[in-house]
Amino acid sequence: MKDNKKNIFIYLTAVVFSLLLIFLALFIGSSQINPADITAFILNSKQVSASTAVIIGEIRLPRIILAFIVGAGLAVSGAVFQAVIRNPMVDPYIIGISAGAGTGVMLALFLGIEIAVLNLNSLPAFAFLGAVLTVFIVYRLARVGNKLPVLTFLLAGVAVSFILNSIMSFLMVLRTENLQQLVYWLMGSLAGSAWNDVRMILPYFLTALAVILFYLKDLNILLLGEESAAHLGLNVERTKIILLGAASLMTASVVSVSGSIGFIGLVVPHIARMIIGPDHRRLIPLAALFGASFLLLADTAARTVMAPMELPVGIITALAGGPYFIYLLRSKSKNIW
Amino acid sequence: MKIMLKTDKIKFSYAQDEILKGIDLEITKGSFIGIIGPNASGKSTLLKNISKTLKSDSGAVYLNHKILNDYNSIELAKKMAVVPQNTEINFNFNVYDIIMMGRHPYQKRWSGVNQKDKRIVKEVMEVTDTLKLKRKLMNELSGGEKQRVIIARALAQKPDILLLDEPTSSLDINYQGEIYDLLNYLNQEYDLTIITVSHDLNLTAQYCEELLLLKNGKIFAAGTAEEVLTEENIKAVYKAEVLIKMNPLSKKPFVTLIPEANRVKKNKQKEFRIHVIAGGGTAKNFLYKLENLGYQLSIGVLNIGDADWQAAKELGIEMVEAPPFIDISENEIQQNRNLIKKADLIILSDLPFGHGNFANLEVLLDYLDKPKILFSNLDIKKRDYIKGKAEKIWNELLDNDKNIYLLEDRSNLISKIKNLEKQEMER
Repeated sequence: MKDNKKNIFIYLTAVVFSLLLIFLALFIGSSQINPADITAFILNSKQVSASTAVIIGEIRLPRIILAFIVGAGLAVSGAVFQAVIRNPMVDPYIIGISAGAGTGVMLALFLGIEIAVLNLNSLPAFAFLGAVLTVFIVYRLARVGNKLPVLTFLLAGVAVSFILNSIMSFLMVLRTENLQQLVYWLMGSLAGSAWNDVRMILPYFLTALAVILFYLKDLNILLLGEESAAHLGLNVERTKIILLGAASLMTASVVSVSGSIGFIGLVVPHIARMIIGPDHRRLIPLAALFGASFLLLADTAARTVMAPMELPVGIITALAGGPYFIYLLRSKSKNIW
Repeated sequence: MKIMLKTDKIKFSYAQDEILKGIDLEITKGSFIGIIGPNASGKSTLLKNISKTLKSDSGAVYLNHKILNDYNSIELAKKMAVVPQNTEINFNFNVYDIIMMGRHPYQKRWSGVNQKDKRIVKEVMEVTDTLKLKRKLMNELSGGEKQRVIIARALAQKPDILLLDEPTSSLDINYQGEIYDLLNYLNQEYDLTIITVSHDLNLTAQYCEELLLLKNGKIFAAGTAEEVLTEENIKAVYKAEVLIKMNPLSKKPFVTLIPEANRVKKNKQKEFRIHVIAGGGTAKNFLYKLENLGYQLSIGVLNIGDADWQAAKELGIEMVEAPPFIDISENEIQQNRNLIKKADLIILSDLPFGHGNFANLEVLLDYLDKPKILFSNLDIKKRDYIKGKAEKIWNELLDNDKNIYLLEDRSNLISKIKNLEKQEMER
């Protein structure tokens, strides 16, 4: 019972903190807007100027929501990868998702393709295709019979990552004029997010999230090791494939709009685990909240600290989160799982 | 007797290597089976075939008369629980959560923990003595405690049959006994059918009702510990020379490896025969040495259970034995005389004398012509618990016997024997 009270407190704190962050992020930005106008816009109580409405409704709000989705997605898929592969050093990029997405982006820039499917930007579309294709290739490479040995899956992912990274570097050498755009993408950034991006990734994100939530209990059983899990009546191969597939889809969707933002997928699950324990029924929602608010905080900093210039948010996530993680490691050095 | 599990000519290969070459088994409900065999004999592979972790290439496994492959994983998990060899859990769950996971096959996806789950988990925690660990995290536990938790989780599945692969291989000796005691209790009290795989012959022999000895993927021997653990079987399967003794407490066979050095010596036995009169552990140290040097030994009369008796038993020395706490009988004295007659040398250790073993001393007066070594490092007066009777015989021996060598310093025993042996051989 004491545990339950503690957990409720942890969740309440996380939710309140996230809401506060959303408001904070709405209020600050490179253009100075009267806070009274912002409040009025939110409450819809009085007419605000058209420019204020655009900045709040079309620029800040979609970006906040996107940061929330991307942060939550990276943290949740990171936690799933770590559990299924049973390795704390794994992040969602390890199987080549970011390299695949990056190669897709580079190809789009290189070939100068501008496709306009359903008003979508071509860059996210290419990134998404690159990521999904990579996951598919890695999965086919690692599959032995009807089994998916996690170690082979990991190694195949690492190998494919290397190959794709060299292809990407090669294309960068050939075509230098788009370099800055690509470098920004690689470092991860939410600059220029629009409702379009949210609309594009939301269906994939929600589908993947629903699948993962459906399998939370199985994820716990899987932690016992594949053999033990099978003896407890779990269909291990099917569960593994479904969970890895869902986490890959989730990562691919968020990477396609944000680029490869590092750190969150690797470290946020650890932070959440240290606070609430390894049970995924409690861990996954908390990791999602942490990842979301952490990225929102970092992104708000990214667009304000050197305004009007934008920093790639990936720089900030690692710079801010790294020391905190090291502090947690040192204070709980006994067992990081 | 109801058949719980049956295998019909199961074969299994890893790539080209045929590991199981047709295994036929019938395991009745409530039995406690120990599968033993050397490395690569297929014992773990057999267990994995029985537990559906591996699928046999041919043949079939039947659980409750139904083919194993016809069970889906949930159904099987309700009937059969397995404690695999590697149960390392990196994630820091607490003991209660881990054991509750044993209820997984009974729980629907979204239904929480119900009263029955709670009751069963509490019950298995009591049986396995893990209730006090309830709130502890897995990595705070000792090896033995962890194993008990894993067994508790298996029991929470409410299985009819429990399979364990090397359940004690990574445990200290005190925990090994604890785990097997627990398994024995579960077998006796709950009629749980248990199959263990182990490389520990003695532990398996002590606890399991039936043993199954595998060699190269086939059953080499099956039956009780006495039937399976014979010197011939062990030699044929493990290519090792062993001595099978009886564990005096459990009355089960006990396997001891004969060291290489002893094996060579055994073949080169000497002609020289020595009869030892001892007791109370006064001879056990030099018995091993003499045996190693290849002397033909006999000893008598010793009380059963005495330290010297155990040493002689282990070494397989020809012996006259008597029940403890009563006087040696006429019959035993006669047997002792027969051994003394054959001996070239008699050794009398510094044992104390009482009513029970007085006859061992007295008998020496009849063999005044035989060479004798008498330990004299302890005064006979101090060893005489029968009011001078022993001292009287001792002095009589010293007065009349010309073949006595008093040994003040025990470390000179071997050289003294060698001298006497040389004289005897020259004669």
